[in-house]
Amino acid sequence: MKRQLFACLALLLLQNANAQTTGTVINASEYFGDLKARHIGPALMSGRISDIENHPKNSNIVYIGAAGGGVWKSNDGGVKFTSIFDDYCQSIGAVSIDPSDPDNTIWVGTGEVWTRNSVSMGDGIYKSTDGGKSWNKMGLEKSDRIASIQIDPKNPNTVYVGVLGALWGDSQERGVYKTTDGGKTWNKILYVNEKTGCSELVMDPTNSSVLYASFWEFRRTAFSFNSGGMNSALYKSTDGGKTWNKIHNGFPTGQFGRIAVTIAPSNPSVVYAVIESEKPENKGIYRSEDGGATWKFLNGDFGLTVRPFYFSKIVVDPKNPDVVAKAGLFGSISRDGGKTFKNLGAMHPDIHDISFDPNNSDKVFVATDGGLYRSLNGGTTLEIIENLPVSQFYHVSTDNQEPYNVYGGLQDNNSWFGPSSSPGGIEARDWNLVGQGDGFRVFPHPTQPHIVYSEMQGADAIWRYDTKEQQLKVVKPFPVQGDPKLRFNWNAALTTSPHNPDRLLVGSQFLHLSNDRGNTWTKISPDLTTNDKTKTGASESGGLSVDNSGAENHCTIFTIAESPLNEKVIWVGTDDGNIQVTTDGGKTWSNVTANVKGLPLNTWCYHVEASVFGEGNAYAVFDGHTKNDYNAYIYKTTDYGKTWNSIVTKDLPVFVRNIQEDYKNPNLLFAGTELGLYVTLDGGLSWSKFKNNVPSVAIHYLELHPKTNDLIMGTHGRGIIILDDITPIRSLSNEIMTKNLHFFESKAFTMSEKSSFGGTSSENQFVGDNPTSNAQIRYFLSKRHTFGKMTMEIFDANGSLVTTLQSGKQKGINTVEWSFNMQAPKIAKGKTFAGGAMFAPRVKAGKYKVKITKGADVFEKEIEVQYDPKSPFTLEERTAQQKTTVELYNFNQELAYFVYELDQWDASVKGFLNENSAPNKAAQALSKELDNLRDKMVITKGDNYVGAGEPRLREKLGDIYSTIGSYYGAPSSTQLENIAMLRNTFNEGKAQFEKMKTSTIKAFEKELVKKSKTSPKILSFEEFLKLEN
Amino acid sequence: MKKIILLVALAFVANVTNAQTVKDITTKYFEAIGGQNWEKVKSMQMFANVDNGGMKIPVEVVMMSDGRMYTRFEVQGMKFTQGAFDGETSWSTNFMTQKAEKSESDDTENTKRSAKEFPNALLTSEKLGYKTNLEGIEKIDGVECYKIKVEKKTMLSEGKEVPNIEYYYIDKETFVPIMTETEIQSGEMKGKIAQTKYSDYQEVNGVFIAFSQTSGIKDGMSQAITFDKVLINSTIDEAGFKFPK
Repeated sequence: MKRQLFACLALLLLQNANAQTTGTVINASEYFGDLKARHIGPALMSGRISDIENHPKNSNIVYIGAAGGGVWKSNDGGVKFTSIFDDYCQSIGAVSIDPSDPDNTIWVGTGEVWTRNSVSMGDGIYKSTDGGKSWNKMGLEKSDRIASIQIDPKNPNTVYVGVLGALWGDSQERGVYKTTDGGKTWNKILYVNEKTGCSELVMDPTNSSVLYASFWEFRRTAFSFNSGGMNSALYKSTDGGKTWNKIHNGFPTGQFGRIAVTIAPSNPSVVYAVIESEKPENKGIYRSEDGGATWKFLNGDFGLTVRPFYFSKIVVDPKNPDVVAKAGLFGSISRDGGKTFKNLGAMHPDIHDISFDPNNSDKVFVATDGGLYRSLNGGTTLEIIENLPVSQFYHVSTDNQEPYNVYGGLQDNNSWFGPSSSPGGIEARDWNLVGQGDGFRVFPHPTQPHIVYSEMQGADAIWRYDTKEQQLKVVKPFPVQGDPKLRFNWNAALTTSPHNPDRLLVGSQFLHLSNDRGNTWTKISPDLTTNDKTKTGASESGGLSVDNSGAENHCTIFTIAESPLNEKVIWVGTDDGNIQVTTDGGKTWSNVTANVKGLPLNTWCYHVEASVFGEGNAYAVFDGHTKNDYNAYIYKTTDYGKTWNSIVTKDLPVFVRNIQEDYKNPNLLFAGTELGLYVTLDGGLSWSKFKNNVPSVAIHYLELHPKTNDLIMGTHGRGIIILDDITPIRSLSNEIMTKNLHFFESKAFTMSEKSSFGGTSSENQFVGDNPTSNAQIRYFLSKRHTFGKMTMEIFDANGSLVTTLQSGKQKGINTVEWSFNMQAPKIAKGKTFAGGAMFAPRVKAGKYKVKITKGADVFEKEIEVQYDPKSPFTLEERTAQQKTTVELYNFNQELAYFVYELDQWDASVKGFLNENSAPNKAAQALSKELDNLRDKMVITKGDNYVGAGEPRLREKLGDIYSTIGSYYGAPSSTQLENIAMLRNTFNEGKAQFEKMKTSTIKAFEKELVKKSKTSPKILSFEEFLKLEN
Repeated sequence: MKKIILLVALAFVANVTNAQTVKDITTKYFEAIGGQNWEKVKSMQMFANVDNGGMKIPVEVVMMSDGRMYTRFEVQGMKFTQGAFDGETSWSTNFMTQKAEKSESDDTENTKRSAKEFPNALLTSEKLGYKTNLEGIEKIDGVECYKIKVEKKTMLSEGKEVPNIEYYYIDKETFVPIMTETEIQSGEMKGKIAQTKYSDYQEVNGVFIAFSQTSGIKDGMSQAITFDKVLINSTIDEAGFKFPK
């Protein structure tokens, strides 16, 4: 007892010591302002969908739960989906609609129940009463994963929940739970033991007191999986869960594994169960026609028995009790009551859920490892839904191209790279396939990015792919004479070097090094793992159904980090909890695990970040979730691992997989957690959740791009998310936070000179957002601006106003974008749009002043804009272009003024004619002349589409003006000749007008005098320019 | 003892804060923006210059207390009206033909149903019998706000009656709205959340008006409009509301 007390005391002292680490706390949680991440998907290979829920009456409304990508809702029968659960845990077990209030009340149980090695965890049950717009957590926080939610159709306050519970350890929070007060309180009404959870729960749709619950004894560790035991069973209650009976009459005896169960909605006496049992010949589908009292074995085909832990879902056509579909590798469907089956149509394999539209059984949705599919012919042919970017990345890396590319591998969906920016947005077609199988770590060659390294599960292959020459070579290290069997993790450690571009490092239990792009390999370490023989029997894993996929390979190297400052310093972390370091390029190794105080033994070393601030500096992230330990563990060393300090605070609520150090500010760190992105500005004294468009998704890897300062997140459920340019966060300080308004420093903004015709995606395909190409003027407000005026203006170096912009008002960081344009010229009035004349010219490179006026306070900041150094244009060419553009800008305004003058006379003469019924020759002659002249200057009839009139001077001028203004090279001689021609037309018009002033206008003025009227008032050119219209 | 009294007092203050009702908040909101002066407001005429890629477009927005309204602007000599409503007909100018076209019947009916919500649905909720609920406290733009749900008359979406709910986020300190939020109920954006943020409150004839309003889709693009001038009870072109024959 004393020893335990001492241990507790020591732990407390340790925590206090950590809390007293020197430095000032900078809490940034309220100050991220409008910094917003962007999602680039991709959605072409989508990601694992775990559950589908159809609205019972309205076929247009469909909800899906993604394995790691939250809840999505479609209002149009599955054409488009919208994410509706971003703020909450993204691992989804079950989505259920309240049948008595289907438009509004939705329940979501978090924690996926397809318990593969890479599965995330849940944090309870949620309820929405407004169709998914807002959510309330309704408890069961420790349920870990929820298999089913059944709502009493007659009493929505009565809800039954099947809780599968913890995957990685014992837990008493399992079984069937019931609430009778809408989720305020819960009672556990069926519990077996701490190893056995409820894997399925179904309710008789005609009698809510009748429930079937399957219980599953299961356990996963980092190195094994077990499905089955004497406690797995199928239960039935006929009294609303008060009493339960096993219903095994017709089942085999002995142990059971996972059991799928479902009721035929059109005939609730018909119940199907698919069982995993001891003997292979007994595995398969059973049918009961008496509500589970007796069972008859029907079929044990592969499609029904394959991988029960992953595919135990069975559904029945709501209108036909003999049409039954089973999830599986390909998905199976029977139309003879379960006697025979055929595969569903072609789609991505690994089917987890199938749903029939309650009102049209031909319309079927299927949830797969590769996204959601929709069939309109009962599952025979299917189409993928192309707007669900729920891809599950294990890793992410980047290259140095412009725009840079993002590389990564996906759960069951190959390896890819795609651009961080693309004309029209980042589309499915922009992504390039560079590996097969499950994809993990993908790296470009550091100096020749057309060479890409990728791998598949367990390093069954590590490829070097020359994407230019399309040459593919397997370059994984093979064992040589004297080697033991090499153990590679499912997600095998692989990395390139910051020092030698041809170097590759790969981890089995040894560290393998190649300096020739993987052609030849040298082992540069002994076995760096614990080599615990009790943890290396993955091939026997699975329980009642052997599941030797490589997912349980253990005692392997998981992370490798070569110091960016010294190539001899290499860190290695292993999945069985070792952290080792060499300072001599692998000649000798130090196991520094024991120096990590407070870390539970054998906690998976998930990531080591070798610091840019010191050869001996590193961060180590440990992840204990495979031992049922969801605590965060991040440590920092500055002495090659001799000592470590925890930089975790209570702000980090869940386990962490990755940390990214800033390259400039040593106290700025980003943590990728299982529930989103966290940021510290004080070296780990405090952490703040970064929410702005970053969902509470599992972030498996972070990368900070050294050139753009973009933070790239490889998420396991929401694809790639990019927070562009983190420099404002880098410079946040307590001093800035106390200022009324603070402008952030920025380097010169580059004016992009690239053009494109945009993308080619269809309306229903996901397209990832591009970064902005505008200047981003950023400032900090210590308080939101709500009362009084606040304006932003841009002035050139001469102090002339260039343009005004809408200012941001929120507390924290504000971003105002400027497209480098000045204001468009004043354009002559006409009858149709002169599209080209709307063009606003771009400013010259140089320095500009930003002025914010906030009430009585004025804040100013100088910014600089530059031409794109990569553009092909010379300064001389640009100067010629700018000179001509200005001339044309002025020409537009001259024409506008001229037409204004004509309009003023026209209004006068038309008014005169209206007022005087007697014909007046002078007025009529002038009117005709004005009409004719104006008709040469602007279009005076037609519409803005195909009824438009023949272009006149205004339209032609607008055309050449925008043509020259939007291309940054010198105008061509043909273009200049065109301008001269237009100038002639204008001059002729003006000459004609001058002539009119001495003839028809003069005559009309005499008529005006006769009627005691005055000539129309004509403003000066300067006055005219100030007019709003 | 003193400490205990202080704790009790603090607890009381906390309770008072917790006990805020929608009525309390709405009353304070009404007072904060001018109170009874709103009863004299028959029209609001607002002028802004909207930037469209460097081209400044002068815009006039008119809202009448009886629900009539229009937005007008002129581009290169062509005049356009958008979102006009004369009490019976809702209409806009087609940009191609430059001719007035009636809105689809759902839109017109929805506009009619909201015609009496002047100056807005929350302030008229009691009069119009709208159900309200204080949903909690949320931070918007770094400001702690009361989130109030206003359940209005149902609206028509693709011919069907659907719930018509608007959320108001009222600044806890100043009691002015920082943001309103609704779910888009029809069209391509159906299901997305539309948000409008309010700032630059300034006094005009005794009432406070948000001169700057930024509208957009939650987590998506937004567009700000800042009014240069707001006139209360000015002379309005009555013909501007009418659907042109």
